[in-house]
Amino acid sequence: MNKSAIHLVVFACNWDGLSCIEEAARGGLTYPASVRVVRVSCLSRVHQGLMLKAFELGADGVMLLGCEPGNCQYDIDAGLVTREYEKARIVLGLLGLGKERLVLCHIPRGDGPGFVRRVTDFIKELEQVRPAIPARA
Amino acid sequence: MFDTEREIIESKIRLCLDCGKCTVVCPVAQHDPEFNPRLIAQRRLSQNSHSPQDETIWQCISCYMCVERCNYYVKFPEFIHGLRAEALAEGAQLQCTHGGALQALQHMMAREDLLQDRLSWLPQDIELSEQSDTIFFVGCAPYFDIVFSDLEVNTLKGVEGALRLLNRAQIPFNILANERCCGRDLLLQGDREGFLALAKANMQEFARYGVKKIITNCPECHYTLKVDYPNVLGDTGIQVMHLTEVIAPLVQSGELSLGELEKRATYHDPCTLGRCSRIFDEPRQILRAVTGLDVVEMEQSREKALCCGASPWVYCGAVNRQIQDQRLTQATATGADILVTTCPKCQIHLRCAQKSRDGKIPQVEIQDLAFLAARSLDIGGESVG
Ligand code: SF4
Repeated sequence: MNKSAIHLVVFACNWDGLSCIEEAARGGLTYPASVRVVRVSCLSRVHQGLMLKAFELGADGVMLLGCEPGNCQYDIDAGLVTREYEKARIVLGLLGLGKERLVLCHIPRGDGPGFVRRVTDFIKELEQVRPAIPARA
Repeated sequence: MFDTEREIIESKIRLCLDCGKCTVVCPVAQHDPEFNPRLIAQRRLSQNSHSPQDETIWQCISCYMCVERCNYYVKFPEFIHGLRAEALAEGAQLQCTHGGALQALQHMMAREDLLQDRLSWLPQDIELSEQSDTIFFVGCAPYFDIVFSDLEVNTLKGVEGALRLLNRAQIPFNILANERCCGRDLLLQGDREGFLALAKANMQEFARYGVKKIITNCPECHYTLKVDYPNVLGDTGIQVMHLTEVIAPLVQSGELSLGELEKRATYHDPCTLGRCSRIFDEPRQILRAVTGLDVVEMEQSREKALCCGASPWVYCGAVNRQIQDQRLTQATATGADILVTTCPKCQIHLRCAQKSRDGKIPQVEIQDLAFLAARSLDIGGESVG
C-alpha cells in the first residue's frame, strides 16, 4: 500500500449512502483514488470488528455513510450502527490512534457534491492528526 | 522459536494409548459426538500424505480437562495449538467470534510505534510507585469493557479491586501506560506471528522500565508471561505472580484482614489458573477470609472444574453455549448469590450466556474475586456489582 496518501475506507449503505457516490460519479466529480468504497446493504451490518479490521489493514480513516434518520430501508435507522460506532471510537482512542479517525455521516439522498466535500474535508482533517498509520507488515 | 514438529513431540501426543479417557471428560465431546480428541490425534499422526484439513481442531476450548485425566499427561491442547498453526499456514481461515474485533485489536496493539491512551479509568486515589521494579499488568480489561459493553461486563472493577488490595497491603507497584495484550489468544489460535509481535513489544516495555516482577489479576496474562514467554523467547528474568498468590499468604498470616459480606458465593476455577497454573487454594483462602461469606463448592470444582465454555475468540457455537448453561446451572444448584472468578474472559463468556438466554438461564451474579475482596473492605469502587 502506498502510504504517502491518506487511505480512507467508506462503508456506504446501498441506498442513500451509495446514491451520493453514484451522483458524484455521474456529475464527473473527482476525489482521491486512495478512497475505497465498500458497499453494504445497511450500515447496521457494519459492526465494530469490521471497522477495526479496516484500521488493522492500514486505513487512516473510516467513514460510515448511511441514510438520514427516518430514511432507513430496513426501519433499523441508526440505532445499531451508532452503538458499534461509539464502541469502535472508544477503542481507537484507547489505542492512541484517535477517535477522530472514524466518522458517521448522513448526507441527503443523491448529494454527490456533499459526499465529495465530506470526503475531502475528512482527508484534510486526517492529514492534521498523527502520521499515517503504517500498514501491518 | 516455533517449530511445530518439535511442539507436537513435546506435547507427548505419541504416548497416546488410545484409551479414550480424554473423550469421556472433554466437555466439548459431551455435547458434540463428532468431536473426539483421540481421533484428532489419530488422524494427524497417521497422515502419510496431505490429508484434508480437520475442521474439528477449532472446537477445542483449551480447558486442559483431558490433560488432567490422561495417564501420560499428554498435553492435548498444546498439540491442537500446533495443528492450528499448521492449518493457518496452509491457508485456513479463522472463524473469529465478535466479528474479529479482538483479533484486529490484538494485531493493532502489536504495532511498534503505538502509544496507547489506556489509563483514563485509573482512579485518582490508587497509589502507584513509579520507581518500583514491580508492575501490575492490567491486561485487556480496559478494552474488554468497551468491546463487550452490551454484555454489561465490568472487568475493570476486578483490576481496580486488585490495585486497592495491593495498596491496602502496602505492596508497591507501577503500571505501564503502554503494555500490550499478552497474546495468549493469538497463541491458542495458532497465530504465532501475532503472538511473537505482542510478546516482543511487551518485553521491550519491560526492559525499558527495568521490570523485575509482575503481578497480574488475569490468569491468562499470568500463565503467558510466566510460562509462554520464557518458552518462546528464553528466560525473561522476570518473576510473575498471580494476585491471589500475593494476597492469600497475607490473609492467612493475618497481615491483611478482609471485611464482611453476608452472601453465599461459589468459586469458579478458571482453567488457566487452576489446571494450568495449579492455583486452587489461594483464591479459596481469600474468600474464606471474608467474614460472613458462605463459600460453597460446585459439583465440578478444582481439578475437575468445568470451563466457562469458550476460549480464544474463535469458533463459538451451540456446544459452547451448552457448556456455559451447564456451568451456570451448577452454580445455581449451590444456592450461591455470587459466582466468583478471577478471569475477565470467564466473566464475559458466562455473562454472554446469561444475556442471550434472556432471563431463562440462572441469573447468578458474576464477580471478580479481587473486586469482591475489596468490596468487603468497602474499597471496591463506587458501584457494587
Ligand atoms: S482441552 Fe478441553 S476441549 Fe480440548 S480436547 Fe481437552 S478436554 Fe476437550
